[in-house]
Amino acid sequence: MALGGCAWDTPMSTVVARSDFARAILHVYSIVTWVTGIIGVLVFALLILVLVRFRARPGDTTLPQQARGQTLLEIAWTIAPALALLIIAIPTIQVVFRTQSAATAPDALQVTVRGWQWWWEFRYPQLDIVTANELHLPAGRRVVVTLNGPDVIHSFWLPQLGGKRDVIPGRVNHVTLTPEQPGEYWGQCAEFCGASHANMGMRAIVQPAADFERWVAQQQAAPAEPSGPAAAGKAIFAGSACVGCHTIKGFSAGVLAPDLTHFGSRTMLAAGMWPNTPENVAEWVKDPQRLKPGVKMPALGLTDEQAKAIAAYLTSLK
Amino acid sequence: MTAHPAHASTGTYLKVAVILSVITALEFAVIYIRRLTPILIPLLLTLSAGKFALVVMFFMHLRYDTKPLTFLFVSSLVLAIGVAVAVATLPGEFLIFTR
Amino acid sequence: MTNGNTGAVAGRRVAGAEPRTVYHSPPAVLAGLASLATTVDHKRIGILYGVTAFAFFLLGGLEALLIRTQLLRPHLGVVSAETYNALFTMHGTTMVFLAIMPLNAAFFNYVIPLMIGARDVAFPRLNALSYWIFLAGGLFLNASFLFGTPPDAGWFGYANLTTRPFSPGPAIDYWMLSLQILGASSIIAAVNFIATILNMRAPGMTLMRMPLFVWMALVVQFLIVLAFPAVTVGLIFLLFDRFFGTHFYDVSAGGDLHLWQHLFWIFGHPEVYILILPAFGIVSEVLPTFSRKPLFGAQVMIYSGILIGFFGFGVWSHHMFTVGMGPIADSAFAIATMIIAIPTGVKIFNWLATMWGGRLRPSVAFHYAAGLVALFTIGGLSGVMHASPPVDLQQHDSYFVVAHMHYVLIGGSLFGIFAGLYYWWPKMTGRMLDERLGRLQFWLVAVGFNVAFFPQHFLGALGMPRRIYTYSRGSGWELWNFVSTLGAYVLGLGVLVFVVVAIRSLRTAGARASGDPWDGRTLEWRTSSPPPAHDFDAIPPVYGRDTFWREKYGDARGQKPAPRVETPDPHGIHLPSPSGWPLVIALGLAVAAFGAIYHLALVVIGAGLTVIGAFAFALEHHRNPAHVEQVGNLGVDHRKLAMWTFLGSECFLFGTLIATYLAYKGRSVVGPQPHEILNIPLTTLSTFDLLMSSLLMVLALAAVQRGDRRQARLWLAGTALFGAIFLAFQAYEFTAFVHEGLTLQTNLFGSTFFVLTGFHGGHVTIGVLWLLALLVLDLRGRLGVQDATKVEVAGLYWHFVDVVWIVIFTVVYLIP
Repeated sequence: MALGGCAWDTPMSTVVARSDFARAILHVYSIVTWVTGIIGVLVFALLILVLVRFRARPGDTTLPQQARGQTLLEIAWTIAPALALLIIAIPTIQVVFRTQSAATAPDALQVTVRGWQWWWEFRYPQLDIVTANELHLPAGRRVVVTLNGPDVIHSFWLPQLGGKRDVIPGRVNHVTLTPEQPGEYWGQCAEFCGASHANMGMRAIVQPAADFERWVAQQQAAPAEPSGPAAAGKAIFAGSACVGCHTIKGFSAGVLAPDLTHFGSRTMLAAGMWPNTPENVAEWVKDPQRLKPGVKMPALGLTDEQAKAIAAYLTSLK
Repeated sequence: MTAHPAHASTGTYLKVAVILSVITALEFAVIYIRRLTPILIPLLLTLSAGKFALVVMFFMHLRYDTKPLTFLFVSSLVLAIGVAVAVATLPGEFLIFTR
Repeated sequence: MTNGNTGAVAGRRVAGAEPRTVYHSPPAVLAGLASLATTVDHKRIGILYGVTAFAFFLLGGLEALLIRTQLLRPHLGVVSAETYNALFTMHGTTMVFLAIMPLNAAFFNYVIPLMIGARDVAFPRLNALSYWIFLAGGLFLNASFLFGTPPDAGWFGYANLTTRPFSPGPAIDYWMLSLQILGASSIIAAVNFIATILNMRAPGMTLMRMPLFVWMALVVQFLIVLAFPAVTVGLIFLLFDRFFGTHFYDVSAGGDLHLWQHLFWIFGHPEVYILILPAFGIVSEVLPTFSRKPLFGAQVMIYSGILIGFFGFGVWSHHMFTVGMGPIADSAFAIATMIIAIPTGVKIFNWLATMWGGRLRPSVAFHYAAGLVALFTIGGLSGVMHASPPVDLQQHDSYFVVAHMHYVLIGGSLFGIFAGLYYWWPKMTGRMLDERLGRLQFWLVAVGFNVAFFPQHFLGALGMPRRIYTYSRGSGWELWNFVSTLGAYVLGLGVLVFVVVAIRSLRTAGARASGDPWDGRTLEWRTSSPPPAHDFDAIPPVYGRDTFWREKYGDARGQKPAPRVETPDPHGIHLPSPSGWPLVIALGLAVAAFGAIYHLALVVIGAGLTVIGAFAFALEHHRNPAHVEQVGNLGVDHRKLAMWTFLGSECFLFGTLIATYLAYKGRSVVGPQPHEILNIPLTTLSTFDLLMSSLLMVLALAAVQRGDRRQARLWLAGTALFGAIFLAFQAYEFTAFVHEGLTLQTNLFGSTFFVLTGFHGGHVTIGVLWLLALLVLDLRGRLGVQDATKVEVAGLYWHFVDVVWIVIFTVVYLIP
């Protein structure tokens, strides 16, 4: 970016483009910023000029010339803005149609995103993978994201990978994009969806093709059998209400909460709220309602020991 | 009171009432005539628009009233119809306007 | 505070003739609060609006400061998430509906009659009613705080978050019901001002000679009248979903969540023009006055205002670029939005040209007006950025939009309001506001505002979403949030300093104001400060646009108009009598609203109060009819004009109801379906009945107009009877449907059908009651030839209800 350089490179920056979709948007964004910026500077300059030049001299009671209008000027400053808008309108319409093409590339990676209060479900129907809150994408390959949701309206937004698109229950929306650069990208829900709207973040990990394939294989494999404290944790999990909401493949089949099959492989906890460490998981599992307002996960009255064991188990699910 | 604008006579009112009744009867009959099915919707809309106009112009006296009043009502009506068409077609899959 | 002198234009009065103010409707001997509670004087009502709205403004500002404090640093924990969500909901709702709109209304009330050379508005008691309903709605909304359940789903309340499953408690009910109450207040006031502006101008004041503020106000009233019904309908759907189990926003029953957004924004976008156009009007008065030259391009300014209002109805879905409407709809709304930027830009240039070549006197009012030109430019330009859907996909629901909206709402609307306050304060209070302290106040506000909100553009560009109660370290948002909060505090301080400036001016030491302290251009400056109760001793002469300036300085060639002898009205001046019924009606609405949430009995009591109050209001003066001529500039009776305006609003109400029926047609997940259950032959009969009732109505009117009392009674009774027969048909139909398994709750068809036809039936019921009331009047010998307009107005309503049925009959019953 022309002004400020690195200052704009923050995790959620809308002016750092790392996908074709984001770049197309940034192209129009730049045009629009330049056009409006120039107009703004012009108007300000005129205003300051006027305020300085035509200030009444103290004691001057004469009347200025009582000009009422001038048709030519009116025409001029109607046409000039119209032309400026044309400069904005043309690339706008082009990019609108280019980025909303209904046709899907047959070789695109399909991802279904379901927005829940207050977490993100990611399904890869072609790969039989279900995960939550952390999206992995191969660099350089087109992705078609299908958006829907079971509760209220959310909005799927990974700014560096492109513009946002709403998750609207009862409807299906699509975003098509090709991520270009490997890296970790932040996302967040952008449509107010209730108490913990602020806590509905996500991560998108864009990886070189080989790394992505490794991740896929890891996600498709059955989770490793736990040992030691993790095994105790698994036993507690099996006997608690956890199994009613969470899925761990081959073990529990709840569908109301994030899939935990490979929970240990995720970098963040509770939809981007904290790093996924055993300490954080233990604290979360003990009293989620205190940490994430309104969350539907109840406190199960676990002791510190039990919480630590469950945390050991869950973080072992790589 | 200021001078009265032109008035419709009782005879005019009765004539309008008769026409309204005839159109209503026609509308009722038309939906049973199979031959008319392809043009049924535009036909019904036209007939209703006719009734609408008759009531507004004669019973509501708009034909005989000052022009600004007509402008006021017609522009509101036109805007309302535009907005209504948008609401009817934009969200769902109404008639031919499937997204 | 009333005196009879007419200020600056001495020597115009006929020597020896003293103004004679005869109050034919004697003011009741009331004092203090009782007088205030029953006032129908537009000036006092204006001050009521202003003080009340300013109080709500301070409350909304407090909510804002809490919001900004919470965001000072990451994870600050000043307020809980739930409280924060309620704070931004109440802040938005309060500022839009309880602060900016009524502050604008304060100026409409005080200034418009003066500017057009009238003595009051067309319907003074209705004017009071608008104020009391506004107060009731505002207090009701804020009562939610007292009960611990403030609304918390945003000022825009998107369904389905606002439906019962996701918002179970009364919080959203408070929001929903108060908006309906406030909407009623606005629509009533709008009808009143349209009739006033179109019909009560002084002789010689053609529409094109009206001041720009009056023109902008006129456009605003039309926007209110036509736009509010859409959100009224959206809220009715929500109310029925929440209270009666309908499925308008129920996805599993086939409901479409886009519907709420369309209905809300069809209102919401014209609403932003409702918020800004008055400020534009004020700037168009202030800049010429303090530049000592006319508004440049006044005609163009008028037309651009009209165009903005009109096109404002065609851009609403630019608030919906992220919902997936498809590229065609996105492009259409994008282009329409860009087009609207043109007349807006034209205004900026005309204001610059007004100041160009002038002798600028930097009063505080001028500071604010010039400030608006600068800041609205920024806000308008960021709006142009949003107009491009690709760009908006990044900016929508981010702090970029928060920055945009506050630039246009504070830099635009609020600066306009402050300009108006400093400009018209002398007129309203007879005191001057301290210009030195005022300039300090201006700079505090201007600097504080820009420090608070310019950085929010950066926050938006850096990806900070809206409506989040906190954010994390490492997001990159820490610095600008910190700066923004500091700015907010300075802005708050600036607002408080205004309170100081205002109070100081009202103290005994405050400087007195003459009738024309600014060497003004328009008629309000041609009377004393403050004006006497009757505004003008004699209706002022109108010589052209900027008529008062022309009187003082002459036209373009410096030629002053020939002096006209002003003789006071020989019949004396009639002032409207005070009335206590508006307050009763408003109270009833508030009680009923509480009842809707807490107890059915309160609904009955409240509704009873409102209905009784309404009847008392309507019949209050039938023994003492107005002597004042009620036919105005357009050659139409005020009441007839008002009714046609209201019917324009009803076009939108029924238009959106019918459109929803069509949008949801065929989407019911379970039966019964329309063709299985609708009884077309029977409904054809009831349609015929309603059409014939219209015939009887015109015969009734004709009879009243020629003084034929017997026939009048016959046809009035006949109309009411035929109306009752229609209702009987409908009652039979409804019960039959319920028997056959179709209720409000059964499916989408049940929801849309019963609400649409039910509301129509409700309108018919009101019509029948109205007719019966006229019949009773006639039986008491109080419906003579001179009362024909009352019957005519009832007839217009009746016929309109009839034509709506014509459309419903075709669309719902006939079309397969």
